[in-house]
Amino acid sequence: MRPPDSATIFDVQRFSLHDGPGIRTTVFFKGCPLRCAWCQNPESLGPHPEMAFFADRCRDTRACAAACPRDAVSARGDRIRRDRCDACGACEPACPHRALERVGREVPLDALLAEILRDRSFYESSGGGVTLSGGEPTFQMSAMGALAQRCRSEGVPVLLQTCGAFRFDAFAPHLRSFDRIFFDLKLMDPERHRRFTRADNPVILENARLLTASGAPVTFRMPIVPGITDDLDNLSAAAAFLREIGASSLHLLRYHRMGEAKLARLGYPLAPLAMGAGDVGRAVARAAALLAECGIEVAV
Amino acid sequence: MIPPTTARAPNGSPRDPRDALVVSERLRALHEEVLHAPRRLCAERARLVTRYFRAADAHPGKPMITKKGEALAYVLRNKRVAIHPRELLVGTFTSHRVGGGLFPELHGLMMLEDLGRFRTRSTNPIEVSREEARALRREVFPYWLTRFLVLRAMPFPQAVRFSLDQLAPTFYLINEGAGVSHFVPNYRALLERGTEAFRREAEARRAVAPPDSDTAAFWGAVEEVCRALEAFAAAYRGRALELAAVEPSPERRRELHEIAAVCERVPKHPAATFREGLQSILFAQIALNLESLDNSVSPGRLDQILWPLYRNDLATGRLDRARAFELLGCFAVKLSELVPVFSRRITRFHGGMFNGQVVVVGGTDERGDDATNELSHLFVALMDRLRTRQPNYHARLHEGSPPEFRAEVAEVLARGSASPALYNDEIVVPNLVARGIAPADARDYANVGCVEPVAAGKSFLSTDAALFNLPLCFELALNRGRRFGHWRRVGADTPPAERCASSDELFVLFLAQLRRAVTRLLREIRAIERANARFHPTPLTSMLVEGCLEAGRDATWGGARYNGSGIQGVGAGEVGDGFAAIEEVVFRRKAATLAEVVAACRRNFSGDDALRARLRNAPKYGNDDRAADGFVARVMEAFAQTLAGHTNARGGEYAAGFYSVTAHQAFGALVGALPSGRSKGRPFASGISPASGMDRKGPTAMLQSVASLPLRVAKNGANLNLMLPPWTLSGGEGPARLQALVAGGFRAGVMQLQVNVIDRDLLIEARDHPGRHPGLLVRVSGYSAYFDDLSPEMKQELIERTCAPLGT
Repeated sequence: MRPPDSATIFDVQRFSLHDGPGIRTTVFFKGCPLRCAWCQNPESLGPHPEMAFFADRCRDTRACAAACPRDAVSARGDRIRRDRCDACGACEPACPHRALERVGREVPLDALLAEILRDRSFYESSGGGVTLSGGEPTFQMSAMGALAQRCRSEGVPVLLQTCGAFRFDAFAPHLRSFDRIFFDLKLMDPERHRRFTRADNPVILENARLLTASGAPVTFRMPIVPGITDDLDNLSAAAAFLREIGASSLHLLRYHRMGEAKLARLGYPLAPLAMGAGDVGRAVARAAALLAECGIEVAV
Repeated sequence: MIPPTTARAPNGSPRDPRDALVVSERLRALHEEVLHAPRRLCAERARLVTRYFRAADAHPGKPMITKKGEALAYVLRNKRVAIHPRELLVGTFTSHRVGGGLFPELHGLMMLEDLGRFRTRSTNPIEVSREEARALRREVFPYWLTRFLVLRAMPFPQAVRFSLDQLAPTFYLINEGAGVSHFVPNYRALLERGTEAFRREAEARRAVAPPDSDTAAFWGAVEEVCRALEAFAAAYRGRALELAAVEPSPERRRELHEIAAVCERVPKHPAATFREGLQSILFAQIALNLESLDNSVSPGRLDQILWPLYRNDLATGRLDRARAFELLGCFAVKLSELVPVFSRRITRFHGGMFNGQVVVVGGTDERGDDATNELSHLFVALMDRLRTRQPNYHARLHEGSPPEFRAEVAEVLARGSASPALYNDEIVVPNLVARGIAPADARDYANVGCVEPVAAGKSFLSTDAALFNLPLCFELALNRGRRFGHWRRVGADTPPAERCASSDELFVLFLAQLRRAVTRLLREIRAIERANARFHPTPLTSMLVEGCLEAGRDATWGGARYNGSGIQGVGAGEVGDGFAAIEEVVFRRKAATLAEVVAACRRNFSGDDALRARLRNAPKYGNDDRAADGFVARVMEAFAQTLAGHTNARGGEYAAGFYSVTAHQAFGALVGALPSGRSKGRPFASGISPASGMDRKGPTAMLQSVASLPLRVAKNGANLNLMLPPWTLSGGEGPARLQALVAGGFRAGVMQLQVNVIDRDLLIEARDHPGRHPGLLVRVSGYSAYFDDLSPEMKQELIERTCAPLGT
């Protein structure tokens, strides 16, 4: 099969400082097999482009309604009728205030690579590179692989952020393209995993095991979402699992509420989780202590 | 506020304790005194100069250069002599602890406009004693009213018109009407030779010159100022001994004797010690600031100039690092005792109480080898720990700069010291060579005033000759040579912009307006240059600019090795953004006609919210978008080309600069709404920085945009502000990250960079005024987002987070 020459991307963020070492460019792939209740990038979930509506930017010019070929703008002009909208994007340039943005676009890999290479001087000076994130990059496995390989051959270090839900045999050929893989564990209990992410975890855990066994440079991470992932059972099970597969450290991610504003823009069904920043800080500290007791090296 | 004094290496471990550089009690006290002393207008210089010239009127045949030398000598010999408690380096610029003089023979009359309100104005109040104000009104003002430089530069009616125009400049502000200054004196030669050697050389040359020649008069004037400078030092020696005689503390008595001993040797003799070097430079610095405009007399590469003395003192045990650090601190405090006395009108263009005394550290030697030394490190530590108003510190970086120096610089900047400004030798040096400067001299460059690179000690480049309002030419191009809302045509009578079928056609109209305004500027500035040569030659300045003494030609006559003038194009980004918006909205998307855009600008977008939003959302310079950046590049090239090929009265070229001091604000206030979506009266961006908040893709994209500009045409320098929110530099990796950002930007081709760390107040403003800072990138956690993209609650959370300790 010919490798694809484009990928569906919802953002390219330059000067990313927190997706790996140094100054990086992060490419956000669209589409994800999981539906985590705490998802911070809900615009990344669906595999296809969709329209985001920024209510705070809207000045009610009705230009979007006039431009829409499918009558998908509701009468009040403040809401997209998701059942009619096919994300054709006609309304986006029509709005003078940029209240509508098409999330997700088909970008040729050539263009993507060119954009990534623009900051090459900063990768070199900082020890940075490119991070493939999402969504779930492996959801577009061959595009991801092709991009990673091309970055790699340009001498740009590549880091992958993955939820681990992929077919290992499809992933294995790309393994050598990555300088590091950030692998997110979430919930160890299969039932709870299904409940909060709407996906099964055995394949994820098996992939974690296989990757570690293959000697790939993997960093395991876990989002600390108070009340969901930070309980004793989950953390000790995670610690036991990591020890069992021969991994010794876990990087904890703070849950934050960034995703919540996006939910409204996209009309997503995920419900906001109500908690304050203080709760998260305390939960992370508690989890870190607990894991350390289990003999796991913890980074926050 | 003086930050903690414990030095920390980039890796967070304390440095070798030997290296602990402490702000001594003395230094702290001197700094505090100068920081809190009232700023005062000093009439002393103006009165002495006036008294001299009144008397000189009895000798009408005396050459002006002779009179100028004698006038400076008169000032130096009659100035008040003051040594303040605890001082190690002595000499005062004015008769007050902190003050500024007036230059009535130059631009001083413009400043006298504010005489009645210096004390009460809200920005930069300056104390004026009743006695001094009266003296200025009675003795000084009446004499110069008919004799000041501009009046002598042109025929009377033209001079009046020009003076009135310059009181409220629209097209340009010609700073050279206030004298040239703006140079890096050859302090290396001063320290190596002493004034006595200069004096002897002038004497010897004069002895064989035709007696009544200009050259003989010039050399005579040099001798006169040398003698006066020696007398000035002798007066300080005398004062120190007087004070010592009545000083109760034995320790201070010893110090005063040391001061007397130093003043006995320099500046007359070569400096034999580090301290003598600093004292010699300080005396010359004071005298130069009394000779001509007290602005941008830039000491230059002090880490290089003082290095042999420092090394020798260290080797002989006369000095240690701590003492050297203290002396450098004393020097910095001394330079901070000078403030510019500007009227409110001029303050709008040259705001911030800024004297432009640049000290440069780091860089290469004349062969191109790294020249960073221990003094460079001492200066960087000083920038951080003693945050004085002056000097204006710069650091030169090149491929071979030591990593620990880069790290140290990044560390102090990450802490918010805002100094030093950073220069990329890999761009600056070739630019100077392209200007006809010998490579060895180019590698020994230092900066003047704000950012302007010159071959140190060898150039008289009038780097701040004028500031030019580029967006005004754009407004005129849109409106057939008239400002919006004005009836009178002030520009070229160009065809209606509405008829243009492409942005290229519109650019032709802009060029026509630009050429016309530049032509007028050059005509006027040449008249000023000739007047400077005739009425304001500067023998001391000339003695310290290589070339003049050998040739017997004053610097204002073109005696310097390198001549030229720098003219600053202000608002290039604004014009480029306007063209980019027109290209996008009118010609590409066809969302509006050019006529509609012009009409909207004419009524300041009143009722045109949607069109204005479209224009504002169009591609903008600063986002690594070649199309938008390309328009800014065209504007810069056009400006530089318009200046090119013209020669100034000193035989040098006019070089374009793209820094703006505070003129981007002052000019912005005068210009109507423009197609970028900027409304009437709003400031332009500073220098070549992108419009405020319009760099939406973060600092790397912004730096790539800047690097894509034709910086080779910015021969007189450019300034770029890099605003960074503190989170980007927080935590242990902060300095390393900043270092990488600078290194990456410089590798990409950025020429100059000044780093600002943004604080909480900006976030609050951004919260209260959404859309004003659309490019404000904030750390959320694990990744970043634009502040405007956050929910109100999230914004609040972020603001609250700024109270938390960094790095959490």
